[in-house]
Amino acid sequence: MKTEYQKKLQIAARQTILIHRADTLIRIILRTIVQSLKVKHAGIFIYDKNKDEYVVKVSRGHCNFKIPTGFVKIKKDNPFVRYFTDKSINLTKEHILWDKILNYCKTPAVKKNEKIKNILEGVKTNLLFYQAKACIPGFFRDELVGILFLGEKNNKKKLDDDELRFLSVLASDVVMSLKNAWLIEDLNRQVELNKRLLLQTISALASSIEAKDKYTIGHTERVANYSLAIAIILRKHKKIEQWDKFFENLRIAALFHDIGKIGIPENILNKNTTLTVAEREVIMQHPAIGANILGHVEELREAIEGVKYHHEKYDGTGYPYHLKGQKIPLIASIISLADTFDALVSDRPYRKAISAQDAVEKIKKVRGSQFMPCVVDAFLQMYNNRIKFTDLTEKKAPWLIEGKTI
Amino acid sequence: MASKIRQKVLVVDDEREIVDFLCNFLQRFGISVAKAKNAQEVFEKHKKDKPDYIFLDIGMPECDGLEVLKQLKKNNSKAKVIMITAKTDKNSLATAKKYGAIDYITKPLDLGELSKKIEDYIL
Repeated sequence: MKTEYQKKLQIAARQTILIHRADTLIRIILRTIVQSLKVKHAGIFIYDKNKDEYVVKVSRGHCNFKIPTGFVKIKKDNPFVRYFTDKSINLTKEHILWDKILNYCKTPAVKKNEKIKNILEGVKTNLLFYQAKACIPGFFRDELVGILFLGEKNNKKKLDDDELRFLSVLASDVVMSLKNAWLIEDLNRQVELNKRLLLQTISALASSIEAKDKYTIGHTERVANYSLAIAIILRKHKKIEQWDKFFENLRIAALFHDIGKIGIPENILNKNTTLTVAEREVIMQHPAIGANILGHVEELREAIEGVKYHHEKYDGTGYPYHLKGQKIPLIASIISLADTFDALVSDRPYRKAISAQDAVEKIKKVRGSQFMPCVVDAFLQMYNNRIKFTDLTEKKAPWLIEGKTI
Repeated sequence: MASKIRQKVLVVDDEREIVDFLCNFLQRFGISVAKAKNAQEVFEKHKKDKPDYIFLDIGMPECDGLEVLKQLKKNNSKAKVIMITAKTDKNSLATAKKYGAIDYITKPLDLGELSKKIEDYIL
């Protein structure tokens, strides 16, 4: 008898390791309990920390007694919970057994103590509600995470010590796997939250440039959207290592590409007559200023390249570093094209916008001189295949849903 | 006088397991039960079994509980109705009250509270 349970325990332990989803494991464990102990039904209350109550998550069995998942709850003042957690109850915390509770109720010590008597009476009522003969607690340190409850055995016999030990081990298995699952959920949620926070901070910072330079309202967001669209196409033709990371950096760099304009005087930025040579020199420093501003953030290293080199040209005539050809990082080449395209189709202090088709023609002409050829090809494919540039005065590039990749 | 007559409860929910569970629980109090899983069955069983009480789920897919309640009252049903609801949605609870429901229970439910309601209203 004993070895049989040990074998079952070993199997259960192996499953704990193999199965990552807590609810799957709990279902298997309850099935194991119903089958190997031959009880009429079994179920488990699991603590829900958001609602601060215990809910029946899984219930197995026949004889018309199966509690629908999530249909029944107990609060923390329920006698089951109080029995296991109230320190003043000086009775075994290993389990609740129907016969033992009946016996406790008859002892003089309990009869004298009103509080314990009430709790035990409550335990009896609840055992009847759930048609249960036994409850086994699942603790993690001091915290009651779950309560197993079992109906009577098919042969009406009582649970023996071996079986109770078996149940205790299973209960702690359930608790461990729940704890693990919750931990992983929390971690993932935290990572997501941090990412979102970073992007929101970046968007807020990026829009501070637009506050200064009134002609560029919505420009950063559109450049980010065009850049991502180009990258999506580019990925089909070009091997990009760590694509997800690249995509994320591109988005950040595109949002930040003009952050350096914060360091340029407003009278130069918003000037509607021709700039002097000296003024042009100042403006041409904005990629370097931007890279310096962001330079302190180690995590943004690759994104900074996009900011720093977004005015470089393929033939080396760009500014401020005069990089040439493949020396210009891909991330910067993409932003460069997206930036130019959006500038062409928008009104500027010194000239009117041109049509999207005219802008495309202009871009075609400078393939290989101003822009990296593969980036132009990807841009054209994007333009020809799926996008009608119907209304570029709209804030967003409308065909791109944020975060969506193909 | 009333306590001598065996009370009858019609349990209505689109989920079979919930109906079975609630019926099983009610029967343990010596209450006789009838089951329905949609609006049509409610009206059929209501006519046939003449329940004293109805446990009525608010969130049923095709015809929701509030609509069923309205129809029942229109047909001068004598049955006292207790709503079952997934969330404490104040609007639908107010509507339920307006249409004459005597009380409600919230999912997930506490069997202690449920049994108290059974004692208060039915037994």
